[in-house]
Amino acid sequence: MAEVRVVELRKEFGPTVAVRDVTTTFPSSTVTCLLGPSGCGKTTLLRMIAGLEEPTRGDVYFDGERVTHLPPRRRNIGMVFQYPVVYPGTNVYRNIELPLLEEKLDAAERQRRIDEVVAILGLEDSLYKEIAQLDMGTRQRVAVARTVARQPAIILFDEPITNVDVNTKAQLKRALKEMTKRLKKTVIYVTHDQTDAMTLADQIALMKDGEIVQVAEPRALYNRPNNVFGGWFLGNPGMNFLEHDLEIVGDARRLTSSLFPTPVWVHGASDAPRVIVGIRPENIRLSSERTPTAVAGQVVRKAITVGGRYLFTVQIGEHLLRAKVEPDIGRQLQGEVWAECPIEWITLFRSDGHRLEASLSLQ
Amino acid sequence: MIAVEFREVSKAYHHQLVLQNVSFSIKAGTFAVIFGPPGCGKSVLLRLITGLEKPSSGRILLRGVDVTGVSPGERNIGYVPQAFALYPHYSVRDNVAYPLALMGVARTEIDSSVRRVAEMLHIDHLLDKKPHQLSGGEKQRVAIARGIVKQTEIYVLDDPLTGLDFKLREQLFDDLKQLQQSLQATFIYTTSDPIEALMLADQAAIVDSGQVVETGPLEQLYWEPLHVRTMELLAFPKANLLSGTLFVRSDQLWCQTDLFTFPARIDPAVGAIDEARPVQVAVRPQHITFGVTEPDGLLTCRAQVMLWEDLGGEVIVHLDVQGTRLVTVVSHDGDRLLGDETITIGIAPTAIVLFEPDTGRRIGQGVGM
Repeated sequence: MAEVRVVELRKEFGPTVAVRDVTTTFPSSTVTCLLGPSGCGKTTLLRMIAGLEEPTRGDVYFDGERVTHLPPRRRNIGMVFQYPVVYPGTNVYRNIELPLLEEKLDAAERQRRIDEVVAILGLEDSLYKEIAQLDMGTRQRVAVARTVARQPAIILFDEPITNVDVNTKAQLKRALKEMTKRLKKTVIYVTHDQTDAMTLADQIALMKDGEIVQVAEPRALYNRPNNVFGGWFLGNPGMNFLEHDLEIVGDARRLTSSLFPTPVWVHGASDAPRVIVGIRPENIRLSSERTPTAVAGQVVRKAITVGGRYLFTVQIGEHLLRAKVEPDIGRQLQGEVWAECPIEWITLFRSDGHRLEASLSLQ
Repeated sequence: MIAVEFREVSKAYHHQLVLQNVSFSIKAGTFAVIFGPPGCGKSVLLRLITGLEKPSSGRILLRGVDVTGVSPGERNIGYVPQAFALYPHYSVRDNVAYPLALMGVARTEIDSSVRRVAEMLHIDHLLDKKPHQLSGGEKQRVAIARGIVKQTEIYVLDDPLTGLDFKLREQLFDDLKQLQQSLQATFIYTTSDPIEALMLADQAAIVDSGQVVETGPLEQLYWEPLHVRTMELLAFPKANLLSGTLFVRSDQLWCQTDLFTFPARIDPAVGAIDEARPVQVAVRPQHITFGVTEPDGLLTCRAQVMLWEDLGGEVIVHLDVQGTRLVTVVSHDGDRLLGDETITIGIAPTAIVLFEPDTGRRIGQGVGM
């Protein structure tokens, strides 16, 4: 059990600010993914928590205790890197056993811990294989096993599956998921891959330009990003963003757009003259048949994507939208189509990119 | 009009055959993707087009003219290499201009060509910067601009987006597609990434183990694959493959796998099935129905959920069915997320495709029960 808290943590490299006064909490026994594009500062933040990087200012606390200047060895953490840290000249069993020999455990306890991590990470069949015989995915499982066997309170991961080939990725993810569920450690996991974050995390801390933009459960972040950045970064492809002026009608605000057959009322946007309408490609409905809630559009491009679904680029008035539809519908559609943007799937943002706490209605 | 044609081309290095009797052609003005797993021979194929390699046997034609013996400099092809080595001390402008400067093109003409491609690739605001001031995605755009600055009608792109973050690649898909359309040129593009191939290709050549196993328009390859590797690899997630046995019982042809047995139909050209014979059984992830309650007409079995991979709009579900791994993909409806559990899956036999194990050729499919 260990809660990690960082307070106004900052790291500068010369003139570059890698981490910008970040204050946040990584709850105990929870998997938090630090997600963001390359260069967003996520790895630097992780390395300051590990003690591998000295902060320019700010503090790191483990369970309320200040550890900012403690060396990594005295922090009771485990760390797994992009490249598996294993001893190549020996077998899997010895790799897991070696760190435990320094821990002053009796032989029975040592064996119990080895058995436990071997079972969790599915290494039973590889136990007496030499490291050189193993693929990258299995080596990384060994690296995780030897880290976990020491039973650190906090485990830090830095893009551990980046260098693993596609075929063993799922296996490694499954092992990591199993490990975090069974051992209830505080895990901080750095990745640029939104799918890995959505799959592994209890909560995601989304980073951009050295700052944490939003902390939320994966589905909450996906469905209700508090910034256009979250809407764009999560999803394949991300949200459509369409800027509109609002019309003032007495006390109310009205949005007239080629996306809707009739004007739409906006509630709670009194001070915003312009809004960005955000909608995910999979929430737009396309059809060859006209419906009362649809508007006419023209297919610009179509392509096959995940699971045989189709990704369309559709011109609607002055807007270019991306819409994802089921295979059977996508195969048929071309030329003129009818598009529906259901208002319940729309997120509104201010022109500065922040989410607007407003709702839409047809009347 | 045919832009590129291979006639019975083979290539060997030190008696090791890396391309084996390859014949195919690429229509002019299309986005053609040469797709296959790493090490399949697609880069060699590309180097044969540019002239960086000579075939051991066979002929290569560009624009209808035999160029087998023609040097790279005289083939008039634009080239975007895989590893983008920009000159660190040159500005973006000079990096892009480099191929034209090398050809001795006049400065004013170079300037207008650089401006034209810079606008197309949205890097016109970066022309005075140095490579170290650019992000990874911007560097890649500069490398592509350098590859297309020479005005010609055939461009070769060797896996140019490999190693980029998914988000950067996603932005470049649209730009590359638009670029090819506005240039009205032939793009020949290699990749081992199925999503990239699906997003970009008008037509594709599927390469496996030194052979072009199938070529055609993309949608035809996806929906009506004639080779097992096309069906398996040109999809995300990959198609599921099982081994099966074909046999006849009471005048009906059946296919049996470890998981289920279903009636099947074989193309007449294959001939009669007199004795049991092995077959490869393929089914796409999206054709495995999840959580079946009314199994009418479906092959069903119990499956253990191993992992949910949440893509946002879709979920890839990894299943264990009595020791066999299957992958399925479902739309994400709302916030439903399941943990480890056992569920019933169903497959319509008509969605199952059968391939011959030795040749990889499609020989038939499942039929309704």
